[in-house]
Amino acid sequence: MDFNRLEILDLLEGYQRKEFSPSEVAQSLLTSIEKKDGEIRSFLQVRPDVTLDAARAIEKRSSEIQKLPLYGVPIAIKDNILVTGWQATAASKILKNYVAPFTAMCVERLESAGALILGKTNLDEFAMGSSTENSGVAPTRNPWKTDRVPGGSSGGSAAAVAAGFAPASLGTDTGGSIRQPASLCGLVGVKPTYGRVSRFGLIAFASSLDQAGPLTRSVWDAARVLECMAGYGGKDATVSRSVVPKYTENLNESAFGTVRNLRVGICTSWLEGVDPEVRTAFEAAVEKLKELGMRPVEVELPNVKYALSTYYLVATSEASSNLARFDGVHYGYRTPNPKDLDDLYCRSRGEGFGPEVKLRIMLGTYALSAGYYDAYYGKANQVRRLIQQDFEAAFEKCDVIASPTSPTTAFKIGEKVSDPLTMYLSDIFTLPANLAGIPGISVPVGVDSAKLPIGMQLMGRHFDESTLFQVAYCYERRRGALANAPWRGSKSGAGA
Amino acid sequence: MKNPLEKYEVVIGLEVHAQLLTKSKMFSEAPNQFGANPNEMIGPVCSGQPGSLPIINQTAIDLGVRAGVALHCKIHEESVFARKHYFYPDLPKGYQISQYERPYCTGGYVEFALKDGSVRKINLVRIHFEEDAGKSTHASHGTLVDLNRAGVPLIEIVSEPEMRSSEEAGQYLRKLRSILRYANICDGNMEQGNFRCDANVSIRLHGAKEFGTRVELKNINSFRYVEKAIDYEVSRQADALEQGEKIRQETRGWNAVKGVTEIMREKEMAHDYRYFPDPDLPPLVISPQLIQKITTEMPELPDAKRIRFIEEYQLSEYNADVLTNSQELADFYERVAKGSGNAKSAANWVMNELLGRLNAVGKEIDDTPVSAENLALLVKNVDSDKISGKIAKTVFDEMFASGKSPDAIIAEKGLVQISDPAALEAVVKKIIEASPSEVAGYKSGKTKLLGFFVGQVMKETKGQANPGLVNDLVKKHLDG
Amino acid sequence: MLSRDEVLKIARLAKLSLTEKEIEFYQQRLGRILTYVEELNALATADTSVVRTIPKDAVAFREDRPIPFGDVRELLKNAPASEADSFLLPQVME
Repeated sequence: MDFNRLEILDLLEGYQRKEFSPSEVAQSLLTSIEKKDGEIRSFLQVRPDVTLDAARAIEKRSSEIQKLPLYGVPIAIKDNILVTGWQATAASKILKNYVAPFTAMCVERLESAGALILGKTNLDEFAMGSSTENSGVAPTRNPWKTDRVPGGSSGGSAAAVAAGFAPASLGTDTGGSIRQPASLCGLVGVKPTYGRVSRFGLIAFASSLDQAGPLTRSVWDAARVLECMAGYGGKDATVSRSVVPKYTENLNESAFGTVRNLRVGICTSWLEGVDPEVRTAFEAAVEKLKELGMRPVEVELPNVKYALSTYYLVATSEASSNLARFDGVHYGYRTPNPKDLDDLYCRSRGEGFGPEVKLRIMLGTYALSAGYYDAYYGKANQVRRLIQQDFEAAFEKCDVIASPTSPTTAFKIGEKVSDPLTMYLSDIFTLPANLAGIPGISVPVGVDSAKLPIGMQLMGRHFDESTLFQVAYCYERRRGALANAPWRGSKSGAGA
Repeated sequence: MKNPLEKYEVVIGLEVHAQLLTKSKMFSEAPNQFGANPNEMIGPVCSGQPGSLPIINQTAIDLGVRAGVALHCKIHEESVFARKHYFYPDLPKGYQISQYERPYCTGGYVEFALKDGSVRKINLVRIHFEEDAGKSTHASHGTLVDLNRAGVPLIEIVSEPEMRSSEEAGQYLRKLRSILRYANICDGNMEQGNFRCDANVSIRLHGAKEFGTRVELKNINSFRYVEKAIDYEVSRQADALEQGEKIRQETRGWNAVKGVTEIMREKEMAHDYRYFPDPDLPPLVISPQLIQKITTEMPELPDAKRIRFIEEYQLSEYNADVLTNSQELADFYERVAKGSGNAKSAANWVMNELLGRLNAVGKEIDDTPVSAENLALLVKNVDSDKISGKIAKTVFDEMFASGKSPDAIIAEKGLVQISDPAALEAVVKKIIEASPSEVAGYKSGKTKLLGFFVGQVMKETKGQANPGLVNDLVKKHLDG
Repeated sequence: MLSRDEVLKIARLAKLSLTEKEIEFYQQRLGRILTYVEELNALATADTSVVRTIPKDAVAFREDRPIPFGDVRELLKNAPASEADSFLLPQVME
């Protein structure tokens, strides 16, 4: 049986009806990975014995299937999220042989819900990038077209799901790193509200921006994964204590009633410079939202044009601090034969980090340094507040805000590496949600003339993932199946 | 320079790091335990693993607030944790979580008495929370790093540069330590490193308005060394100025073996710590309710006890200060005072006899061989004339050596003071009869010879005669 | 374009060794980005309230209960060098 195309809901129903078992599914996917991931390079580590042991263990608990909302579901985990016994390299030479001594809270929750860890996926080094070309291992290829990037930084996670190797994966999103690859790979990707999901066990990039979230092939699947992985856990001082809603409960016919008459905000000025095919597809998607009864409302977001500058000061400052621990002393790469302590530090870090990481560390160090703090980090935080206020004002007039997820579809590998700002502009629509702390979801809306996927982003109020899921669900139902998806075994895809 | 203080005024500010008496660390659940094997008391957070995050230990905050109340500080309702960045092997995250622009306490003061009886009040600048670093030990082939201490909760108490002598610095520290111990905030043990002090020392001409260049002194790990290090540094700076040199702003370490301060091998570049508010932690909120609760639950602190001792036991400022230096000493003294009913005498015995002897053998009041009950008995014995004050000193020596009760020793050695007039009269008469020329001399006006007769009686009775009574009896018999 | 000295100063603070090529590369890249972010200076932000990123109902505290980590040796396993349960650095400190 071809498990590559199955969604989580399909798997759960199959297990319930005893049509197949978790070990069958896990084995099939592992075989698929072994045969076809050589070209895609979505995985950095698989441990088939461990995964199959876990599958067999969960089978022994088949009587509890009702109580295990992710019973037997194999999930791929981005390699900047710790899982005990598995590597956690952040795709960096500086963590090449690092084995995680503890498990991230969000993964622990997934495991408690019955999920199986399928493997660790590739990313831009330390989650810094928008194409996965910054991986210290190798770039990942987009399963839709293998000369294209899958997006980043969660490119491996996106490619794994798009190729049919996993029904779901976890990514992290600091400036768009779940939503943008989801968009470029025709998937659903969710960045939860900041503080919805515990960051304990996420290798920190920017502490006030990072969130882990799901990449899946359907909205229902994403809702199921998020409702399992979210929540406090006691190890992160930035997580909301509020109860995590059962998002999947509303994803049925009742959603259509809820969605009708919701107001969808569009910021037209923001759409300038977007690829024309992307714009057309986005506008068609908005028409569909209108068909669902939603009312488009024009909203102003006067300060989002400063989001890139703000992000590149705030995120890099926090990153420069979070990456100070990689010093060759207690774990990770240490330069051989250092001549003194300073040399040990400088060469371990200089040799262990890739160029983009070093660039961002230096930018952040500069922005925090004496004499520059006020003008850079200080100023950026003030502008961040303005951006937050823009969204607060916008949500007085609307319930969700829609935009394209990415200004382009998947670009060619190597196309954007020469100018940092060109690459950074990929995140123009996704950055503001991280700065404002609001949730965002990317849903596929179609493909362009090159058959590359286009995504629409919906953003909502803090902790209002419920509304986002319902709107996305209704839209998805209205849209129908995505043509030529590689997980269904299309010509250029990997799943067959 | 012979006496620098004649020409120069000393300006001293002290920074004290005090470890808080919590069971677990400041930002993680790893145990806070001294003396364990290397890296036995660590976890993902305090070892700086990727993916680890800080969570604040509530008790650490409570103890910090207790310190703020005890030291009369303004406790701020909102304060901020900040990251202080530098690279060092004992700092696994590459930054220390501390407080910078917005500490939880500002202001406050410490009051203490000096030997001359004067009372000094030293104001504080601030107190803030921070986490401790690990320890590196240098071996021949490299450096070993133990992170047990990394993440232990600290409060840093910064004084204004208002101390003007090494004695003041020493007394300030003793008082501060005593307050922290009384309130169960910190153990106050400098040798174990849970109470650490850095001194900022500068000198200037008397009457000068500007401060001199200050030098930071580190590595002072006992109370004795505080005063020595400061004295040495003052004379070093004075000598330098006298020779026309400038004082360099630097950090110097106290070398206890050589008795000097030496430049520490640190980077000459000033640190740029790149402080910024820690995004992993919300602002620290300390509610008025919490402060109220901690204020009401506060045990009697040294100052309150000192004032009470002065009133209740009629002690001098200085004596009260010394006797309330530690909870244990104060309790000991009170048991002696109450047990004997003679507070003044109790004070004398504790301060002049007991403490001196304990100090000489390096013991604390906790290990006194002389119990409070026994010392009280001794005082009572003197007051009831059972033994003389002089004999009591002998008894005390034996009590200190053997731990026995005074009554046992008096009995064993037959030291009971002879106060029976009949018995003494007999001796007096005997001496008078045996010394006719002295009698004649006395009667002819040499009244000083009274001492001779008293002395002879004392000698005859091996010092056990009640001297006052002897005096009276001799006079009575001589004057007729 | 940042000066060579400025790049070296930042690299020193950040403890990053750079090759000659890298110095030039970063002079250029950092310069480009820093020029771009200058646009923020045009914004009036003197009256903005402090940015808050953490949800109001997040609780940052835990009870003072020590919980030893399962097996602390796991934390030493990733060390580049260790000896007798300590992290070991080569002879690099004075």
